Amino acid sequence: MKILVAVKQVAALEEDFEIRADGKDVDEDFMLYDLNEWDDYSLEEAMKIKEASDTEVEVVVVSVGPDRVDESLRKCLAKGADRAIRVWDDSAEGSDAIVVGRILTEVIKKEAPDMVFAGVQSSDQAYASTGISIASYLNWPHAAVVADLQYKPGDNKAVVRRELEGGLLQEVEINCPAVLTIQLGINKPRYASLRGIKQAATKPIEEVSLGDLSLTANDVGAANSMSRVRRMYVPEKGRATMIEGTLAEQAAKIIQIINEFKGA
Amino acid sequence: MQDSTDALVKLAIKAGDPYVAAAVHELATGASKRQIEAQMMNTRRTALALARWEHTPASVLAALSGIGDDAVDLRLDKNPNTASGVLSNLYADASNKRNLNLTKLIAQHRNSEAGVLKSIALFAEDAESLLALSKNPSATAEVLDCLSARLADSELGVALNKNIAQNISASADLLARIYERSDLHTQAAIIGHVNCPDALIAAAMNSEDLLVMRTLARDKRVTADVLRRYARSDDAGVRCGVAANDATPVSLIGDLAGDKSELVRREIASRHDLLPAHIQVLTGDADDWVRQRLARNAIAPLDVLRVLAADVQADVRRAVARNAQCPLELLELLAADSNAWVRAAVAYQHHSPQELLVALAEDGDVDVLSGVANNPNTPQQILEKLVASSEADVRRGVILNRAATRNTLLPLLEDPYYLHRVLMIANPSMHELDKWNLREDPDYQVRFSVYRWAVKNIAPINARYIVGNEVIRRRRA
Repeated sequence: MKILVAVKQVAALEEDFEIRADGKDVDEDFMLYDLNEWDDYSLEEAMKIKEASDTEVEVVVVSVGPDRVDESLRKCLAKGADRAIRVWDDSAEGSDAIVVGRILTEVIKKEAPDMVFAGVQSSDQAYASTGISIASYLNWPHAAVVADLQYKPGDNKAVVRRELEGGLLQEVEINCPAVLTIQLGINKPRYASLRGIKQAATKPIEEVSLGDLSLTANDVGAANSMSRVRRMYVPEKGRATMIEGTLAEQAAKIIQIINEFKGA
Repeated sequence: MQDSTDALVKLAIKAGDPYVAAAVHELATGASKRQIEAQMMNTRRTALALARWEHTPASVLAALSGIGDDAVDLRLDKNPNTASGVLSNLYADASNKRNLNLTKLIAQHRNSEAGVLKSIALFAEDAESLLALSKNPSATAEVLDCLSARLADSELGVALNKNIAQNISASADLLARIYERSDLHTQAAIIGHVNCPDALIAAAMNSEDLLVMRTLARDKRVTADVLRRYARSDDAGVRCGVAANDATPVSLIGDLAGDKSELVRREIASRHDLLPAHIQVLTGDADDWVRQRLARNAIAPLDVLRVLAADVQADVRRAVARNAQCPLELLELLAADSNAWVRAAVAYQHHSPQELLVALAEDGDVDVLSGVANNPNTPQQILEKLVASSEADVRRGVILNRAATRNTLLPLLEDPYYLHRVLMIANPSMHELDKWNLREDPDYQVRFSVYRWAVKNIAPINARYIVGNEVIRRRRA
């Protein structure tokens, strides 16, 4: 039995940063990279299934990205993933989430997993579409925003609870194999043990090229995506006023604003 | 000593890690220093990260200020560890470039030199820098004097004086000068200032203004007669101040204990001069918070604690368990409480005896177990079990337990959570070699902490580990 977990290395920003010269992204020097938070939960869900199973379960993590992504993949290996695969070619730079979904789909076809997990969204781009596009390319059933999963290796059905607006949960029975996008809070992700980190440092990361997946530069990148970033910018500041004055005065002004808002 | 210093710097250079380099930077000299700095600044990304990091030593920040990168300078201006000399240079640069954003950051930085702040007070033109300066507690009385005098007649001067009225550095003379030309809000702030002249306080005692009365009601310098008048105020805020004031005569407490406002009664319930009659009234108060505050009060007698230990509200029972005077009989009762927060309070209570803690160690709740792990009365064999807990909070409790022995703590040197390993470096129970062995930890914050510890303890640990380690490596090679 095999579970494939699609993961992404995401960028976080400090409060001060500079936009790249081409105006399409933030300068990399100002970015801090880490494993996408949602993907940490996806991996933990896969690890829980692996550890609870009587039969052998292989957990494979896959990511699309340059060399620096190895650091995040090693984090997954340190937490117990059996194998890590990284796909990259410079021509893939600027690919939108749908193209990334297509690349991952080709990996999935080769790996033939029984289940595919992905995070609901990435914290830096927030398209929430990679997992769903994989399901579409594979023509597999999918469930999004999964907050609870009941599944045993070998089962041909899983029961998931999906998180909806207003605190509602929707219980869904889904045929397997399936693609599930996992929501934060479904479990409590573990910290990697020191031993795990040391072992992960020596484990190989399988590097896969576009050619290995029967893809070419004409299938990927910004030019071959259905959406492209035109520019990234900080919008003009909105209507905000700094309340000055003594503490008592600030409190009085806030009360006045609240009363005006309430129409009192 | 010099041998171990040189060896430590050499090891740091060999590590090739910018965070380790930053940790030993202050020890390095000559060519070694240049190598260390090259490691710290080999990429702009690393320099930016170190300039922002709250643990970066001042000497590293000083080195980074020489790069001449505006983005790095911006982060240095925000970093609380940036030394005054560096800020002075950055101010000179910001002035030349007329960079108002950097000037504002220097104006509000706690380490800015008085000379720089005075220069900003005298010459800065932008309101944001001047407002930031007026709030900076590092601005001396002289700087605030200059600032107030320069803009006394301007519209901005009103806003500046409001901030100065709340600035701890403002002198009595300046406060007195501002008082006369200020609005009621600023006057109330001046009345509440620790440096407010007695004459202003005396005059303000005749004021009927609510803001002034609310401020004065909490002031110990106010006379008993005035506090009596305030205790009859229609304003709950004024009565609250009286209830919280240590100078309030005991004769007023009875009425305030039965005050119509629960806010007033809550303040009264925390007082240490309550008479038995007051306590009796407060014990049956309808407000949970009043009973909770009484339950935490160290003067609450045993019979009252017994009543409160059976309170319908778990927070009140928890407050009894947290009371420093809580007797054993009530700790035993509360250790069996149905609410985990109440049991956790017993587990954290330093008066809880070993037998109680042994029983609580069987509890399934993480907060209870964290309390047992933290408690210095917990037997060592229980702590040894808790070290293996899957809950990080419980393991951290053992690390923070001052009674935990080295043998108990040893497994936590390999704790999965990096912060726990950082805490182990600061733990006095651990041997020097235990700490030194973490120098090649996978987490950069742990490695940095080990080397910082080594820098600060270079004399005591001396040749035994650092030089010794180097010698051992050479022999092996």
